[in-house]
Amino acid sequence: MNSKTLYFEDVDLGDEIGPVERIITDEQVIEFVKLREIEFESGPSRFTSKEVAISQGLTEAIVPGAMNIALMSQLLTGWAENVCLLKIDVVFRKTVPHNTTLIFNGIVTGKNDDSGNNELECDITMQLQDGVKMVIGNSVISLPNRL
Amino acid sequence: MTTDDGIVYNRSLLGVENITGTFEVTRDMILGFARSTGETYERYIGDTNGKGDISAPPTICNIFVTGLSRPDIELEFGELSFFAGQSIECKLDIKPGDILTGRTKLDNVYSKTGRSGKMVFTVWQTSFMNQNSEIVALVNESFVTRNKNA
Repeated sequence: MNSKTLYFEDVDLGDEIGPVERIITDEQVIEFVKLREIEFESGPSRFTSKEVAISQGLTEAIVPGAMNIALMSQLLTGWAENVCLLKIDVVFRKTVPHNTTLIFNGIVTGKNDDSGNNELECDITMQLQDGVKMVIGNSVISLPNRL
Repeated sequence: MTTDDGIVYNRSLLGVENITGTFEVTRDMILGFARSTGETYERYIGDTNGKGDISAPPTICNIFVTGLSRPDIELEFGELSFFAGQSIECKLDIKPGDILTGRTKLDNVYSKTGRSGKMVFTVWQTSFMNQNSEIVALVNESFVTRNKNA
């Protein structure tokens, strides 16, 4: 996370966000799944058990999609403390394993202040160290004007 | 190219909105979400003692989406189903004590054929309204179903 403040005027098309490296542990996934009580109470799942994951045709336990989108959003909200996330849209291209280095990147692809919302469009990715993209997407964020 | 030709499912469910649950957002829930996803901003986790005003990270509605009960669309295809994609529009801050009501509808069912064969996509749209009748978030979820041996 970043404690810097950014303003709409500071940002240009092509500006890069990140990279940010993260490793999601088994414990973090269990804590996340516990928040979703219905799912957690139904017992081990492909998110928390390698055995269940394998029985469903996977090779290992995976990070829930809902957690992946939260992590993708953090790339944006972590860029500066005053970023406001308006919309995020992601495609899960591959299942995301636990305990693996994940690299998050973004790039500013659009800038629009017509609506008065100071909107920035960004492409975002989550990939492995070998460059394989696991989650891709785009988002709209807003930043305040410099007074 | 996408099409829904030949997909067998219960088409009477298309576009029909149902209230699928009411959820209280607790402080513990927000802190748990923030902890599990590694948030460090004070606005999500409070001060060093975990005290102070907090709001929820913008995608927290996802934990309620998972808990929603949805009707079986009676899709006659495939054995494996995966979460394919999702979009979230964040309309308003969500705070501890907010009571959210979720409304879900089946928005679309379509198929695509790729290298691994035919896949059927099911798209659900969910809105969350707070206790002041304000929409706080809109969530679109897409699930893909395919055959096991594709």
